[in-house]
Amino acid sequence: MIRLNNIVATYTTTRGEVSAVDGVNLEIPTGKIIGIAGESGCGKSTLLKVIYGDLIYPLALKTGSVQYGFDSFGQEVTTSDIKEYWFKRISYIPQSSMSSLNPVIRINKQFTDHLDPSTDKAKVLEDVRAYVQKLDLPPEAIDAYPHQLSGGMRQRIMVAMGTFFNPDIILADEPTTALDVVVQKGILLLLMGLQEETKSTIFFVSHDMGVHYQITHKMLIMYAAKVVEFGDSDIIFTEPLHPYTRMLIESLPTIGDDHLRTGVSGRPPSLWEDLTGCRFAPRCPLATELCQTTEPEFKEYRRGHFAACHYAENTYQSSEIAILYDHHPQNQSPE
Amino acid sequence: MALFQYIVGRFVSYFVVLFIGLTITFFLPRLMPSDPIEQYIFELQSQAGQTMSPDEMANLRETLSQIYGLDGSLVSQYLGYLERVILHFDFGPSFASFPAPVIGFIVRALPWTLGLLVTTTLIAWTIGNLIGLRAGYHHNSRAATVMEVVGVALYPIPYYIVALVLIMVFGYLLSIFPLTTTIRPGPLTFAKMRVILYNSVLPALSIIVVGLGWNILSMKALSFAHKEEGYVTFARLKGTPSRTIMNSYVGRNSLLPQITGLTLSLGAIFSGALLIEILFSYPGMGLLMRTAASSGDYNMLYGTILVTIFAVATATLVLDLIYPVFDPRIRYR
Ligand SMILES: Nc1ncnc2c1ncn2[C@@H]1O[C@H](COP(=O)(O)OP(=O)(O)OP(=O)(O)O)[C@@H](O)[C@H]1O
Ligand SMILES: [Mg+2]
Repeated sequence: MIRLNNIVATYTTTRGEVSAVDGVNLEIPTGKIIGIAGESGCGKSTLLKVIYGDLIYPLALKTGSVQYGFDSFGQEVTTSDIKEYWFKRISYIPQSSMSSLNPVIRINKQFTDHLDPSTDKAKVLEDVRAYVQKLDLPPEAIDAYPHQLSGGMRQRIMVAMGTFFNPDIILADEPTTALDVVVQKGILLLLMGLQEETKSTIFFVSHDMGVHYQITHKMLIMYAAKVVEFGDSDIIFTEPLHPYTRMLIESLPTIGDDHLRTGVSGRPPSLWEDLTGCRFAPRCPLATELCQTTEPEFKEYRRGHFAACHYAENTYQSSEIAILYDHHPQNQSPE
Repeated sequence: MALFQYIVGRFVSYFVVLFIGLTITFFLPRLMPSDPIEQYIFELQSQAGQTMSPDEMANLRETLSQIYGLDGSLVSQYLGYLERVILHFDFGPSFASFPAPVIGFIVRALPWTLGLLVTTTLIAWTIGNLIGLRAGYHHNSRAATVMEVVGVALYPIPYYIVALVLIMVFGYLLSIFPLTTTIRPGPLTFAKMRVILYNSVLPALSIIVVGLGWNILSMKALSFAHKEEGYVTFARLKGTPSRTIMNSYVGRNSLLPQITGLTLSLGAIFSGALLIEILFSYPGMGLLMRTAASSGDYNMLYGTILVTIFAVATATLVLDLIYPVFDPRIRYR
């Protein structure tokens, strides 16, 4: 179990401090692919940075901590010492492989330059060569310079770097957005396969709800620095509890569907505003007086299914869900 | 294949530059309003204080024309000039020390200038980059701020001001180093080397101080910018040690523009060094050039200019050829 204990993370700016993650309290089962979705600026990347323990100025953890669910010397590892486990037990796959690789040194060097100086790097590289073949890469790809590889190959290298040391937790922040659809699919299948094999926990950020639907086991929906819903993906995609989640899913186009997708209208509130009540209330079709004044509690409505909505219990029965359900790819004939 | 193309390209532009330099130094004196031969005869007459017969004059004129390659059509003059300069390094005799050939003076002066320039440029570049990298990488530290202030203070000062200040302080006030260069001819012994070094300290220091400011500032700016690159962030998130990030990631990438910058500023460094030589009476190309200019020694002047063009172009070529060693994107396609 990975525990996020009451996390408040702030950025220091010239205007003052802004909380980009504002009170996240969650227990996340290990060995799953956890999808994180939400509009731009809702704090997905910030949450990943907090989990990774990459807390450098201007980002700081105001309150809370992360417990990673693994021990070292009999003590559970928490935020304060996670840095020592970077690329050993927790790793990170960046968004753009082009900008994340040093153009002037060989990939094999970049693969090993974070290892302890006492490590036998030649031996490690031997294993890496064997490993990358599993990822559909020629073994000599790791001896190349980044510019010599195609975008897809480079992103596979990034996946190889992130997975080779067999970490418990892998964070992937939009790892495929820079790639074309075919290459993207290959990378996603690869990630799924590797996860299946190693049973690591992957936190996967994407704007693409279709991708989330295909690869995640659990979904974490964020809205304006808060987690508004968390649960099993198949349930979230069919019976979401939060109206925002429903709007996100409705924005998903489906094959053979010719009526225009509505998408999510309106914009999220600025984090600088006075945020009382439910942050989604201004855009919510179901909002009432209560939503304007009182912040809904994030609680478990069904087993393992959490949401922060005053009307979570009645929304999932609405007729819109039924329509949505009909259009869901799962219920269509196979492509 | 890309590397081969790159190298061929460098050589082609090298020869084009040399050819243009040769051509300009050929036509420039011929476009000048004053005729060097007439001027020489005039000087000869006024010095000797006697008049020559018209026959003698015509004879002398012809001989001089031959010696200086000024007879025949412009095309044949040009071809003869190219042949003499390219094949025999023959720039003709010196007017001022007739008939000693110009090339002899140049051969004696060149090692001084090259020795001074190569060492000072390398020192300023290396130290400047080492400091600039640290200042840019640890840009929040106090030492970095101090280094930047040093760079900002040194950078805009012209060579000659630095030289004059050094002469004032170390030569005149403290009398630690000589005011001008005095080196007696003779075989190169250990003792003589010491004298040379001793005499070269102030000229060298002038060039280093100015070069250092420029190198610190540009390397600092480059390192500071490269620090924000995605690969630096990713290396940090991998847990790569900070030293490795500074050297292999920030340093290696910032070095590339610094090599290009050095290549581009070679000409300026050379002309700066020439000024320094004049100020310190340092027996190099700069001093030779000035003496030639003031005594109207055309062959000497154009000879030194040509050799300077040749030296700068060759140094640029060498740097260009070294560049792929640092940038794999040119080595491999
Ligand atoms: N370095 C920073 N300084 C100040 N504010 C920041 C900084 N980085 C992010 N923020 C703010 O924090 C909030 C959350 O940003 P974050 O990058 O986590 O969003 P995100 O959900 O990942 O968005 P996207 O989908 O666009 O990647 C945003 O409002 C953003 O403006
Ligand atoms: Mg983001």
